[in-house]
Amino acid sequence: MDVVLQQIVNAISLGGIYALLALGLAVVFSIVSLVNFAHGELMTVAGYGMFFAAAVSLPFPFAVGIAVLFAIIAALLTERFAFRPMRKADATGLLLTSFAVSAILRVIFQNGISARPKPVPLPSGFAGVIDIGFLHIGIVPLLSIVMTALSLAALILFLNRTTLGKAMRAAAEDFQVLRLMGIKANRVIAVAFAVSGALAGVAAVLWIAQRGSVDPLMGFVPVLKAFVAAVIGGLGSLTGAVAGGFALGILEVLFQAFLPDAALPFRDAFVLGFVILILIWRPDGLIPAPVARRS
Amino acid sequence: MLPWTGVPPRAWTSALLLIAGVGALALVVSLIFGNTGVNIATLAMLQVSAVLALATFSGNSGIVSFGHSAFMGIGAYIFGVLVMPEAIQASALPNLPVWLHGHQMSLAGALLVVAAAGLVVGILSGFPLAKLSTGSAAIGTLAFLIIIHVTLIGARDFTRGSQTFYGVPRLTTVYVAFLAAGVLILIARILRETPLGLRLRAARENEVAAAASGVNVRLSRHQGWALSITMSVVIGALYGSFLGAFSPKDFYFDLIFTLIAMLIVGGMLTVSGAVAGTVLLAGVVQILRQAETGIDLGSLHIPSIFGLPQLGMGLALLLTIWRRPLGLMGLREIGPDWPRRKLEPMPSEALHTAPSGAPLEVDSITMRFGGLVALDNISFVVPPRQVTGLIGPNGAGKTTLINIICGQTKPTAGRIVIGGTEMTGEAPHRVAVAGLGRTFQNIRLFDRMSALENVTVAALSKGYNAANARRVALAELARLGLAHRAEDLAGSFAYGDRRRLEIARALALAPKFLLLDEPAAGMNPAETDALIRVLESIRADHEIGLLVVEHDMRLIMRLSDRMVVLNKGQKIAEGTPQQIRSDPKVIEAYIGTKRARP
Repeated sequence: MDVVLQQIVNAISLGGIYALLALGLAVVFSIVSLVNFAHGELMTVAGYGMFFAAAVSLPFPFAVGIAVLFAIIAALLTERFAFRPMRKADATGLLLTSFAVSAILRVIFQNGISARPKPVPLPSGFAGVIDIGFLHIGIVPLLSIVMTALSLAALILFLNRTTLGKAMRAAAEDFQVLRLMGIKANRVIAVAFAVSGALAGVAAVLWIAQRGSVDPLMGFVPVLKAFVAAVIGGLGSLTGAVAGGFALGILEVLFQAFLPDAALPFRDAFVLGFVILILIWRPDGLIPAPVARRS
Repeated sequence: MLPWTGVPPRAWTSALLLIAGVGALALVVSLIFGNTGVNIATLAMLQVSAVLALATFSGNSGIVSFGHSAFMGIGAYIFGVLVMPEAIQASALPNLPVWLHGHQMSLAGALLVVAAAGLVVGILSGFPLAKLSTGSAAIGTLAFLIIIHVTLIGARDFTRGSQTFYGVPRLTTVYVAFLAAGVLILIARILRETPLGLRLRAARENEVAAAASGVNVRLSRHQGWALSITMSVVIGALYGSFLGAFSPKDFYFDLIFTLIAMLIVGGMLTVSGAVAGTVLLAGVVQILRQAETGIDLGSLHIPSIFGLPQLGMGLALLLTIWRRPLGLMGLREIGPDWPRRKLEPMPSEALHTAPSGAPLEVDSITMRFGGLVALDNISFVVPPRQVTGLIGPNGAGKTTLINIICGQTKPTAGRIVIGGTEMTGEAPHRVAVAGLGRTFQNIRLFDRMSALENVTVAALSKGYNAANARRVALAELARLGLAHRAEDLAGSFAYGDRRRLEIARALALAPKFLLLDEPAAGMNPAETDALIRVLESIRADHEIGLLVVEHDMRLIMRLSDRMVVLNKGQKIAEGTPQQIRSDPKVIEAYIGTKRARP
C-alpha cells in the first residue's frame, strides 16, 4: 500500500513537470503553429538563472523567481529575434527554425558558461521526507505537485479572467478573426511566448530540485518527452497537453515499477512504444484541438 | 511494368549530371589533399547518400523526419556484427547469441542482409507513422529516434551499450562511397517522377486534393517511408564501416541535425538541392572543424569555440529559412531539358468511360453534430448525362453534404450510392476512384508541381501506367485549353486557369460524376461565360453527371437540368429551374422577400 501510494506521488510529480512543459509547447503551437524545439533551452536558461542567483547567495525563493524571469525573457527574445522574422514560414519552416535556435543556444551555453554541469545548491530541507501517517513522501515530489497545481491554477485564471488570456484562447481558435477584432497579433504572440517561458521556468526549477545541477543539455530530454506528451494529448490542445503530460508521467513510473530488471534499460523504449500504440488508436491524440474544416 | 517506365528522359540526364558532379568534386578533393582528402570525400559522399535517403521521404512527403539517423544506427550495428572478424567478436561481444557468431560476411552479402532488415524495420515503423497527421508525424519520428537510441544502449549483448563498438572492418572505401552516392542519386531522382513520387508530392502539396484525386495518402506515405528507411539503414551500415568504431550517440541528435541542415540548406524539394546542400555544408563543416580548436593569425588569436560546426550549421539553417525558404536550388532540378521526347496526347475516344445508367444517389442522409441536426433525411438523385444544381443559403448544409458525398465525413444515417456501388463512409480516395471527381470552393492545386503532374496524379489513380497517365493528362489539359502550359508550375497560374486546371485534374479520373463546388466563385461575367462553355462541352463529350453547387444564380439556372434546394438542413424543393424559380418556399428561404435576379 505504502509503495503504491509513493509511486502514485512520483507519477503525479513527474507527470506534472511534463504537463507544464507540454502546456508551454501547446500554448505557442495553438497560436503560431510552432513546435518549439528551443523550449528545452528555455529550461536551461532558467537553470542558469538559479545557478547565478545562488552564486550571489540570493535566498532560494528569489532564485526561483529569477529562474522564471530568465526563462520568460529568453522566450521573448527568441520570439522577437528568431520566430517573428520567420512568421511567413510554414509549420515545417518554423519547426526547423526552432531546431536551429536550439542548437545555437546549446553551443552558446557550452562556450559562454561551461560544457560541464554547474551545481545548484538546494535548501537543506529538500532532502527530507514528510511522514503522513504511514506514508513517507519526499519533500521534492510533494513540492513539485504543489507548484504544478499552483501554476495550472494561475494559468486557468489568466486564460479565463483576463482580457489578454481570453484573447489568447480566441487566438487559438481562430487567429485571423481575432485580428479583425482589433487585437494586436504581436502582443498576443509575445504573451503566448511569455507564458510558455514561465511554464518552462517552473518546470526547470522542479527538474533541478531533483538533480541539483544544470548543464547545457539539461532541457533536451524533458522537452523531447514533452513533445511526446503534447502529441498524445492532441497537438495544440491545452487540456490535451496536461492530460498527455500526466499520462506520460504515469506510464514512465508504471513501467519503472513493473518492468523486470533485465528490461529496465529499455524503459523509455517501452513507454514510447506504448505511446505509439495510443496514437494508432487515436491518431489525433486523446483530446484533439478543435479544427475548423471547410472544403 | 518496371517502375521507371514513363520517367521523363531529363530526369536521367539530371541524375547523371549530379553523379558526375559529385564524382568530379570527390576526385578534386582527393587529388589536392591526398589521404585526408580521400577521407573527406568519402565522408561527404556518404553524407550525400544519407541526406538523399532522408530526402526520399521528407523531400517528397514534406514531413521532416528526426528519426533517420537512428535507423542508420540500426544498419551500422547489424552490419558490424555480420562482418566483424571472429576473434574481435569474441572479445568485444562475449554475450552475443551463438547464431550470430563468426559470419565474417562480405560487403555485398552483409549489405543484402542489412537491406532486408531495413525493409522489415521500415515497413513495421511505417504503420503508426502513416496514421499520424502531418504535424504529429514529425514528432512521431522523434519518438523513433529516442526508442532506437535507448534500445541500442540497452541491447548490450549486441551493441556494447553506450561503450564504443569497435572492430568493424573499414570496407567503405572511397569507391564504395561513390557507388552508394551514385545509386542513391539515381533512385532519389527517378523516384520523384514515378507514380509513388508523384503521389507523395501531391499529398505534400495538398492532402485533401490528393485524396480527391484518388491518392491513398497513407499507403503512399507508408511506401515512401519504408523505402527511405531501407536506404537509410543500408547507408548507416556503410557509414559505420567507414567509422570503424562508433557508439549509439554517433547516430543520435548531432547526426540528424547535420543531415536535416544539409537537406534544408540545399532545398528539400529537389534532389539537386539535397546534393548541393550536402556538398556545401560538408565543406563548411570541414573548415569550421579546423577552426574549432582556435586560429592564430599572427597577432590575432581566435579562441577555440566548442561546437563551431553546429553553430555554423544552425546559422546556415536559419539564414536559409529566412532568406530562401525553398533552399539554394528552390524548385529547379539541374540539367538541360533534353532529349525531349514529344508526348502524344491520348486520343479522345480512349478517354471515355463506359456510360453507366446508374445515378449518384443521396439516400436519406442525416447528419447530427451533437444536438444540431445539420442534415435531416436528405434524398435526391444525380442522374448521368445531366446537370444537377444544388443551392441553398449559407448554413443550409451544402458543405456538410459535399463532405459526406466525397467521403470526408461519415453520415449519422443514410447511404451514398455512386453508379450502383454503395460508398457510404468510404475514404475519399476510394470515392474518387469509384467515379466521383470534384473541384473545391477554394481551389486546391498541387502548387509546386507542373500542370501536367497535377493532372497525371489523378490519371494514375485510374490504373494507367506512368507513360499513359501522362498522355491522358495531356489530353485533358488540351481539352481545357491548357496544353501549352503543361510544364508550368500550377502555382503560377492565374485564377481562371487554376479553375480549369482543377477541372482537368478531376476529369482525368474519368469520373462517372463530377462535383463542382462553387466553380464560378470570384469570377467576372466573362470568365463565368467561358466556364459555362467549358462545362457544357464536358457534358457533351463525357457521359457524366454533374453536381454543381453554386451561389451564382445566372450560372446555375442556365446550366442545370434539375435543381435541389437545401435550407437549414432540409430539402425544401426539387425540380427544373423554372419550377424552382417560382417555388414560394425557395423564394422565401433562399432569395428572401425580394425577387431573384434571373
